[in-house]
Amino acid sequence: MTAPTRRRLGVGTALLAATALLAACGSGTPGQTADEDAEAGDREVVEFWHHTFTTPENEWYEQAVEDFNASQDEVFVNETVVPGDAWDEKMTAAQAAGTAPDVYPVPGRLNDGVRLGSYLALDDLLPAEAFEQVTDAAAEISQVDGTWYGYPLLLEPQRVLYWNKEIFTEAGLDPESPPTSWDELYEACEQIQPVLADGQFCIETFSDQDTLAWSTVAEQMHVAGHLPISEDWTTADATDPAYEELIEHYTTLYSEGYIPRQSLAAGNSAAPFGEEKVAMITQGSWGMSELVADYPEVVDHTGVAPTITSDGDQTESLTTVGNFKWVLDANSDNAEAAAAFIAYALAGDTDVLLPFFVDTQFTKAPAREDVAEAVNADPGAAEAPWSEVITEDVVPYTIGEPLYPWDVNVAMGLAIQQSMMGDVAPADALAEADATIEQIIEREDLPANRAELGD
Amino acid sequence: MARRRPADDHVVAANKKRYPDTVMAYVMIAPIVILLGIFVIYPALQATVLSFYNWSFYQESEFVGLKNFTDVLTDPKFRASILLGLKFVAITLPVQLVGAFLFASLATAVNRRFADVLKVSIYIPTIISGVITSVIFTIIYDYSGGILNALLAKLDLTTQAWLGDPRLALVAIAAPAVWLGMGLTCLIMIAGMLDIPASFYESADVEGANWWQKTVYITIPQLKNILLYLIITGFVASIQQFELPLIMTNGGPMSSTELPNLFIFNHFRGDPYVGYSIAAALLLFVVLGSVSALIFRVLNSEKLVD
Repeated sequence: MTAPTRRRLGVGTALLAATALLAACGSGTPGQTADEDAEAGDREVVEFWHHTFTTPENEWYEQAVEDFNASQDEVFVNETVVPGDAWDEKMTAAQAAGTAPDVYPVPGRLNDGVRLGSYLALDDLLPAEAFEQVTDAAAEISQVDGTWYGYPLLLEPQRVLYWNKEIFTEAGLDPESPPTSWDELYEACEQIQPVLADGQFCIETFSDQDTLAWSTVAEQMHVAGHLPISEDWTTADATDPAYEELIEHYTTLYSEGYIPRQSLAAGNSAAPFGEEKVAMITQGSWGMSELVADYPEVVDHTGVAPTITSDGDQTESLTTVGNFKWVLDANSDNAEAAAAFIAYALAGDTDVLLPFFVDTQFTKAPAREDVAEAVNADPGAAEAPWSEVITEDVVPYTIGEPLYPWDVNVAMGLAIQQSMMGDVAPADALAEADATIEQIIEREDLPANRAELGD
Repeated sequence: MARRRPADDHVVAANKKRYPDTVMAYVMIAPIVILLGIFVIYPALQATVLSFYNWSFYQESEFVGLKNFTDVLTDPKFRASILLGLKFVAITLPVQLVGAFLFASLATAVNRRFADVLKVSIYIPTIISGVITSVIFTIIYDYSGGILNALLAKLDLTTQAWLGDPRLALVAIAAPAVWLGMGLTCLIMIAGMLDIPASFYESADVEGANWWQKTVYITIPQLKNILLYLIITGFVASIQQFELPLIMTNGGPMSSTELPNLFIFNHFRGDPYVGYSIAAALLLFVVLGSVSALIFRVLNSEKLVD
C-alpha cells in the first residue's frame, strides 16, 4: 500500500470513528439528548412544547416540568422551548411529519383545530372534578360544543394603557388622569410633544399589519357594534362607515407624528415604554410583567389604565381577552401520560400555579376560582396596584377573541394600515377588505363551518 | 451457434473506442441521480399529487381537483406577490450585475496584490449568513436608534421609516440582497474576464480603442455565456428571496415586501390545509421556468469561437 493511500485510509477511519462517537453521544429519541434519555429511563415519555414567554413565565414552565418529573417515576416530560416566531412553521412541519408534541399551549380559539381533528377531548382523560373550578370565561375558550379540548392556564386582556407619570407632569398634565377618549389623547399628545426629545414619541400603539389585525378587534366592535363579517359568516360586513372613523383615528396618530412611523419593537413588547422612548403605550396586560422584570426603574412612575376608546366609554368592548390553554395532540401515543402532566401542572394543587401568577406580577387572570383566591390572598398582590385595574376595570368589559379565521383579521389590519401609511381612502381600503373577506368566505366555506359550531 | 463475424468485432471495438467510459460515467452520476430522485423528483411528484387534495394531518385528505390551483390563480394577493418578485428582480439584478462588472473590471486592471485585496473584500458578504445580514440591516434601519437615521439627523435631513414605509421597504431589503449577491457574481465575472485572450485587447490598443470601446466590443461579447448564467441564476435567486423579508419586515408594511416565497410560506404556516401553498409553489415553479426559458431564448446561448 502506498503512503498516500494509507493516509487516505487513516483519515477515512478517523472520520468514521468520529461519526460513531458522535452517534453514541446522541439520543435514540428524536428531540432528546442522551442525558434526557438516561433520565427518562423506562418511563413513558411525553413531548411538551411551549413558546418562549417572558422570563418569569419561562422559569415557571421549566420548574413545573422538573417538579412533575421528580414527583413520580412513570412519566417523563421532555420540554422543548420554541421561539414565538418559529412556532407556526415548526408545528406545521412536525404535524406533517407525524412528530407533533403530545402536549402544547394554544392561544386564541379552538374551533378550527377541533374541526380539523387536531386535539383529543379531555373529558375522559381528566377526572370530572378537574373542571369544577374553571371560571366561566375560561371554560368558554376551552370547550367546543360542550366538550373540553383544552385545559386553561390564564386569561389576559390584550390592550391596556400604560403611561409615564413623569412625562405627564413635565408636560403640565395631571399625572393621575390618563386620556380616555381619542379627543383627549390628541390633546394630551399636543401637550406632550414639546417636551419630548428626538427619538421619543407620544404613544406607541400597534401599527404593523399583523398586530393591528388582532389588536383592533375590540375597537372594531366598539365603534361599529359588530365585527366585519355577518354572524352566520355568509357575507362580509367591513364597509360600515364607523370603521372609516377607526381608520381615520390611526391615520391621525400617524400623520401627526404621535406614533412612530415604524414599530419600535415587536408587537407584543412593552420595551419602547421601558426604554422611555414613548410617553404612553397600548399593550397587553403582560406588558407590566415585562416592565417589572426588565425595566424596574420605570415601574414607580408607570400608570396602568383601561385602554383609550373612541368615545371614552370604558365599559363596553374594551379589549379582546387573550388566553393560553394546553391541548393534547390527536395523534399522541401517550394520551393518558400526557393528561397526567396536565392534571399535575394546571388542574392540580394551587401551589403549583401560584408562582406563575405571582411572578408575572399579578398581570394575568387565573382560569380557576381556587387559584384566583390563592393569588388574591398572596401578600404581593397589595404591592401591585395594577392588579386591581386589570381585574376590576378591564376584565369585566372584555370580549372574546373572534371565532372566524385569522385571515379576516388580517384583511382589516391591512385596511387600517393602507390608509394610515398609504394614500388609500378609508372607504376604498374597507371595500378591498370586504372583497377579501368575501373571498375567504368562498374559499373556506365559512357558512358551513359556522353552522357546525352551533350557537 | 451463430458464428461471430469479423464485422461484429469491428463494431464492438468501434463502440469501445467511441464510448470508452460509458459504464464509469453512469457509476459517477448514479449518486447524484439517486439523491435527486429521493430529495427532488419524488417530493415534486408527491407535491403534485397533494396539490389536488385538501391535505389534513389528522383527517382523511379530501380530493378537491383543481380547486387549490383556481384559488391561487384567482387570488389577487398571489398575483401581487409575483409582480412584487419581478419588481424586486428589476431593482436588484441590474445593480448587482453592473456593480459586479465594474468591480471585476477594476480587479483585473490593477496589480495582483491589490486585486487579491479587492477580491477578498467583495467576497466576504457571500459567506455571511442571510439571517445575520438581516439582523445587521434591521439594526442599521432601526427607526429611533439606527445608524442610518442617526446620519440623516446629523445632516439635518428627515429621518425615514426604512422598514415601516411601504414606499421604502422593498428598496431597503434590496440593499442587503445586492450586498450579499455581489461577491459571487463579481468573482465569476473576474474568472470570465481573465479567460479572454490578451491578444484581443493588444489588437484593440494598436487600433487606438478606448476602455469603453474595448468593453463594448470585446469584454461584453466574450462574457455573453457567463452573463447569461448570471442573469438566470440572479433572477431565480432574487425572485425567490425569502430570509430578508421574513426577518426584516415579515412581508409588511402593507404586504409591500411579501415576495412569492414568503407569501407561500405564510400560507403554509397559517392555513388549515396545506394544498393551497403547495399549488402556489408549483405555479411559482412554472413562472420561474417560463421566465428562465424566455431569457435563454432572447439571449441565445452559443459556444464561443476564438
